[in-house]
Amino acid sequence: MSRRNDGFEFHAGLLQRLLDIVYRVINFFERWDRLPTLLAAVNLGVFRDRLRAHNLHHTGYGIGTSSDWSAGRERWRSPDGSFNSLDHPRMGMAGSRFGRNFPLPECVPDSGDELLDPSPREISQKLLARRTFIPATKLNLLAAAWIQFETHNWFSHGLPEPGNEFKIPLQPDDDWPERQRVDGCMQIRRTLADTTPRETWLGATPTFRNTNSHWWDAGQIYGSSHSRQADIRSGTDGKIAVGPDGMLLEDPTHLGVDLTGFNDNWWVGLSLLHNLFVREHNVLCDALKERYPAWHDEELFQRARLINAALIAKIHTIEWTPGILGHPALDFAMHANWSGVPYRVMRAVLGKDNEAAHGIPGSPTDQHSAPYAMTEEFTSVYRLHPLLPDEMNVRRLDTGKQVCCELVNMQGKSTRRFMEEHGFTNLLYSFGTNHPGAIRLHNFPNFLRRFEKVGQPLLDVAAIDIIRDRERGVPRYNRFRELVGKRRVETFDEITSIPGAADKMRAIYKHVDRVDLLVGLLAEDLPEGFGFSDTAFRIFILMATRRLKSDRFFTDDYRPEIYTDFGLDWINNNNMKSVLLRHVPQLGPALEGAKNCFAPWNVL
Amino acid sequence: MAFTITIPGIIRLVVVRTPDEVLAVNDASMVERSLSGRGGLVNRSVAAKLAVFRTPDGDIWPAFRDRLDPLRVAHQAALEAALSDVRPLLRRIAPEIAELGGYVRDGAADRSLGVIVQQAVGRLFFANYTASEKSYYAARTLQTWLSPWPLRAFWIRRSGALQASLDRIMDLSRGDMACAHATALAMDNIVRSIKLMRRLARHGDNLAKIEPLDALAQTLRAPTRVVREARDERHVGPVRLRARSLVLLAVESARRQRPDPGFALFASAWNRCPAHGVVPALLADVWQAARADTGGSPEQRRDLQTDQIPVSKNPPTAAIR
Repeated sequence: MSRRNDGFEFHAGLLQRLLDIVYRVINFFERWDRLPTLLAAVNLGVFRDRLRAHNLHHTGYGIGTSSDWSAGRERWRSPDGSFNSLDHPRMGMAGSRFGRNFPLPECVPDSGDELLDPSPREISQKLLARRTFIPATKLNLLAAAWIQFETHNWFSHGLPEPGNEFKIPLQPDDDWPERQRVDGCMQIRRTLADTTPRETWLGATPTFRNTNSHWWDAGQIYGSSHSRQADIRSGTDGKIAVGPDGMLLEDPTHLGVDLTGFNDNWWVGLSLLHNLFVREHNVLCDALKERYPAWHDEELFQRARLINAALIAKIHTIEWTPGILGHPALDFAMHANWSGVPYRVMRAVLGKDNEAAHGIPGSPTDQHSAPYAMTEEFTSVYRLHPLLPDEMNVRRLDTGKQVCCELVNMQGKSTRRFMEEHGFTNLLYSFGTNHPGAIRLHNFPNFLRRFEKVGQPLLDVAAIDIIRDRERGVPRYNRFRELVGKRRVETFDEITSIPGAADKMRAIYKHVDRVDLLVGLLAEDLPEGFGFSDTAFRIFILMATRRLKSDRFFTDDYRPEIYTDFGLDWINNNNMKSVLLRHVPQLGPALEGAKNCFAPWNVL
Repeated sequence: MAFTITIPGIIRLVVVRTPDEVLAVNDASMVERSLSGRGGLVNRSVAAKLAVFRTPDGDIWPAFRDRLDPLRVAHQAALEAALSDVRPLLRRIAPEIAELGGYVRDGAADRSLGVIVQQAVGRLFFANYTASEKSYYAARTLQTWLSPWPLRAFWIRRSGALQASLDRIMDLSRGDMACAHATALAMDNIVRSIKLMRRLARHGDNLAKIEPLDALAQTLRAPTRVVREARDERHVGPVRLRARSLVLLAVESARRQRPDPGFALFASAWNRCPAHGVVPALLADVWQAARADTGGSPEQRRDLQTDQIPVSKNPPTAAIR
């Protein structure tokens, strides 16, 4: 393998090779999701190994070594994610490039007019626009807020700047406001360009940089730079600064928005989760100080951060994911990812370093075939805006009264006012008892299709979602399927059974190979219990475990010397429910009997 | 008329042979130079062959860079500029031109034809480039590697000759990928052209009778075929390109149907050769050098000026496609 992947190479064991062949035969006759649970779970492991071998591609780092780190601090997470790998200190660092899940020549944008064909605006109007709200009845709205909370941890392309915008021609009957048009077109700003020197082997593949740390380090709470961390800390006992009411302070540079690690695209859902886990951090600091009274502010902060970040990762792995992907094999596999299989004999046979037997935490670090980085394809499959409703019922926990509120009024600079008006407890309860939208065609929130954001022109986020995949060179749906190991489809009807959708797609795209990734993912028929498509899930299989397996603090350094015994116990013994009840005990009746806090709660 | 061969799991191939179709397919946006190897065993085998033209640090030979690659665009422009001042470049390689002229006239030379051509081409990049039988053998090895004979290819790789040849060519080219490509692969088209000149010169008094520009037009050759891949399915004119088809552009076959040197050299396409000025001038000078002792008029003996060569506005050689 060339140095393009910085020397990393995937090594398949004998068992893996054998299983790969066996499952190619099995899958020729039967899809993975129709197999018995244990066989299906092993099938997922086989998929993951194939993807680890073929679907990780380095794009260079695009950044120098961090100045936020000094020797002796390797027992903590650095603010910008550098030195997570001590041999490759730039890996996963804030400002480094997004990687790719496909060979680089596959990740080249269309040229010229084809980039805008068909019109993203037309797709927004005819295929994505919500006509009636389609709820995801197995989930609550907290699940929607959670995934945005997490993606803010993992990636951001930065705020687009004016200049050289895409110009999307509009149809004569388009209701896009006249004052927003330029030369009769809708304007969409381009993704921030990567201006760092390009390696010669990148070819025509565009590169972009992640302004956040790529690691699963709770960077959304703690920030991705030393200066941001300094902004949010209280300076006492390792705690994060909160107001007298226990809530996050206001960001002095973004009025109406909380001061936290990453507060772009702010709304009430994010504020709830940030406040919840800042409380968790501060409780951890108190508990650590009680056990280790000699520890100073920095030590307490960093240790609490490690524990809090791991707890969030655990909740995501074994609660949120099985919540949105309700398949027994996945439930089994995600628990195995975190804590191993529940079979003593299998654990003994496979050995203590085996991730399947004993879980990834504590197993050896492995980057597989490329240095760790979030990928453009990963950001694409996490375009889950249909999860957002246009409105929700805000319920009072004490009186049971409810009022219908529009989401557009609980975001941006209105967020803190809305929080103060309705209260942390009532809003958590409301989020637990409302449904998010289903991740399907014709369910894109309408307020986001005409969305005002400070410092930006009027946005049609649905059209932007389409153009982002195209400009970043993410393959369109059919080739994306092929590249994640699925068969290409030949007709529109093979993609979807949503009534009328295939005809509409045919009218817009003409050929099935032109279908945009987002449209295909939203149209695709889902496996039983799934909240999003199987095609998106393939990237998920790879990247969900990679976030853990590549991270020194979840693998080699997931040990008492780093986390403390107390910390590891805390992670083992807590979950979303215990976190909620610790900080908002009034939610007890609403959560009574709840096995998964991302499923709808009891309406009292 | 294009023809398609599809045997599931074995091959997915489209051969394009008419001039209009060649140009249209060459220009189609989803037809790429980089090969994924998907589509069948043959597709995979061809992709594996081209994959060797990436240096260990992952750099790519210019002829295998994709259309939108900013480095390809930059390198093409820079090389085109460097090779645009034709006369000084031809003066630099005057000894080689004289040798080649001798070969065309007499059918013999002190060194093998390929060595002389390789040195002439190499000296367009580096004034002190020195070719040898070994370096020409290396070039021949790489050309054979790209030929469609699997057993020969297997042996070339297995014996280590492939890597040795790549190393030798890269060493002589001092890491310059364009020079490596020109002195290993593209030079073969010049060798073929000069062999045709020799055949032309053998008959009657052709050497005295045929003017350099006419000789050039009769002997300039395009590469036999150029390989591409269709990433997604699309109709390009009447040609249906299925996703992951290996696309063979039969350029030489198409050129015979449209004897316009500009066509043979993709003159108006995105992939035109940066050496489009210098190579036709080189060939014309070779013919002229061959005529030098056969009674050509004084006017005919003088150096050809670049602007006399009406090959086309942008007539590339087979060097970079």
